[in-house]
Amino acid sequence: MKTPPPDERIQRALDGLLSPEEMAALQADVVRDGDLRAAYVDQVWLHASLKADRETLAGLLDAPAPDAGKIVRRWPVALWAASIAACVTLVASIALFGKGTFFRRPVATLVQAENCKWAGSDLPTAVNSRLGAGTLSLVEGIATLRFKNGATVTIEAPTRLEILNAMHCRLIEGSLVAEVPEPAHGFAIDTPDIKVVDLGTKFGVTTASNGNSQVHVFKGEVEIDGLPGDAHKRLKEGKGLNVGSGSTAVGQEPTQGQQVQEEGGWTAIPTSFGRGKDGYARRGDSGAPMGSHPLLIVKHTDLEHGRNNERRAVVTFDVSQFATANAREAQLILDPQPSGFGFSTLVPDSRFAVYGLTDESLDAWNEKEMRWATLPGCTDEGPDLNRATKVAEFWIPRGGSGGPITIRSDALAEFVRKDTNGMITFVIVRETGETNTSGLAHAFASREHPTGRPPTLRLK
Amino acid sequence: MDSAPPDPTEQTEAYLRLLNQHDRWLATYVYSLVSRPADAEDILQEAKVTMWKHFASFDRGSNFRAWARKIATNQILNYRRSEQRRPNSTLDDQFIEAVAAEIDRRAETLDRKSDALRQCLRKLPEAHRRIIVWRYYEDCGVEEIAAKSERTVEAVYRLLSRIRGVLNDCVNRQMAPTPVP
Repeated sequence: MKTPPPDERIQRALDGLLSPEEMAALQADVVRDGDLRAAYVDQVWLHASLKADRETLAGLLDAPAPDAGKIVRRWPVALWAASIAACVTLVASIALFGKGTFFRRPVATLVQAENCKWAGSDLPTAVNSRLGAGTLSLVEGIATLRFKNGATVTIEAPTRLEILNAMHCRLIEGSLVAEVPEPAHGFAIDTPDIKVVDLGTKFGVTTASNGNSQVHVFKGEVEIDGLPGDAHKRLKEGKGLNVGSGSTAVGQEPTQGQQVQEEGGWTAIPTSFGRGKDGYARRGDSGAPMGSHPLLIVKHTDLEHGRNNERRAVVTFDVSQFATANAREAQLILDPQPSGFGFSTLVPDSRFAVYGLTDESLDAWNEKEMRWATLPGCTDEGPDLNRATKVAEFWIPRGGSGGPITIRSDALAEFVRKDTNGMITFVIVRETGETNTSGLAHAFASREHPTGRPPTLRLK
Repeated sequence: MDSAPPDPTEQTEAYLRLLNQHDRWLATYVYSLVSRPADAEDILQEAKVTMWKHFASFDRGSNFRAWARKIATNQILNYRRSEQRRPNSTLDDQFIEAVAAEIDRRAETLDRKSDALRQCLRKLPEAHRRIIVWRYYEDCGVEEIAAKSERTVEAVYRLLSRIRGVLNDCVNRQMAPTPVP
């Protein structure tokens, strides 16, 4: 390849059109050659002055037609006023908020939003909105942001994402998949546990509100910083990493819940009421028992590699204060939460089944001891139809449900009416699988969850 | 010398006045040395915070610009160190130091260049001003401008390069006569 003349290399460098090798060669030449250095500084200073004068350039299109003469005076005055304003903002920012508050120029565009519902976002959420620094809170759907440098980030509800600048985001909770082309390499995502720096890839990050992050590299390579002991690590294509699981997996001591009389004659009974309880188990029992976990995690896979990721949840309600024989209607309410495991884009719309335990002796399961083998009413393969019966099915679309799910069926009410011991237990399983072992594990708030609604049985 | 403790309001005002006077210059300096705008903005922000924190130790009689430049250069070098593990880093110590020294050497001329530039911008035809607004105000890359203006990337690059050439010639012409007192 022929070397372009020096001037052209400088111009190309300013527009980011040189390859890293060409850039390194130009830099070496600038260090070595005084004339080239002078030419470089001339060009780069002009380019940098335009960047530094950015705010005043907006007025350029409204400026009167070119007139060689007497235009000079106004500019400096306007500029002076503008920069006084900028300074006042600067000092106010330093004084009030410290870092990170005064560059709100757009850095990304919201290019796609499928069936999205948003909450508490301080950024615009209409499609084609230009986004500066700020927070997006997606409660339902899947949305895609395109950054100016070409990186695209797809967020899957429920997710809260803070945009810090064009190269840097913070995933507060939820899941995202980032695709980063060459000019945006170095694009970084922070989670509460770690920092993921792109080295040219497509990768996913997911993090739960209780601090548990998972990274999966679909293509290329990423670097993970901020690992325990300040370590960092490179992760290649097809590889994944979990951080924080186990250490922060124990939820709060559950506050004792109340049985509540609601409008329309409903009685709401949470798992946190009386002798109620909830938990989940995972095949292989890694980290077990999970009875006190703030999340009830549910997953099914038909993929051989993912066999040990199978998870089922169990919830027990204390209905001893309710005349179950007279129940006309019944509803089970579950509150989906980010699990910190897997990606919604890798699972189809997911179907779940709820099984009621017909063998009432199994209602006595223990949160502190339950493991995969002692998960009530189940064999290794699935719910045991000699001891449990299917009472309902429900779906969660890709991109989430946008808040608590209400499950109702005649079979559910019928099952409640047959209760004889004042305890009702359901096992919740996912029936649909995934296309990749990094598919989403669904999660619902348990009674130990700090903010979510515990599983609740509503009867009337 | 007044030995009274510094008055915080007075300090704030003094800092504001100096920063206001040199703000654009400082930004130009950082943008000259750091090509990625997001990095430059982070560095500039950190530098201003650092300057504000250490302003009490700044000797009012001395050269604010030299003091600010030193802090900004340190920020750039620190930033580079934290980025070192990253491949394709566009920041190289030797290169930064060489270019920074060249800017220092020609500080006076360069400063007048920035002023002249503002006059030259207004002499551009409207179509060219629009390209400048896209590139520098909206911070669009060459590819984005290509899409907006239905040109090829190469054509946009050539156009930008030509506009910058015109501006540079204009700036040099403006500076040829005796500077405005």
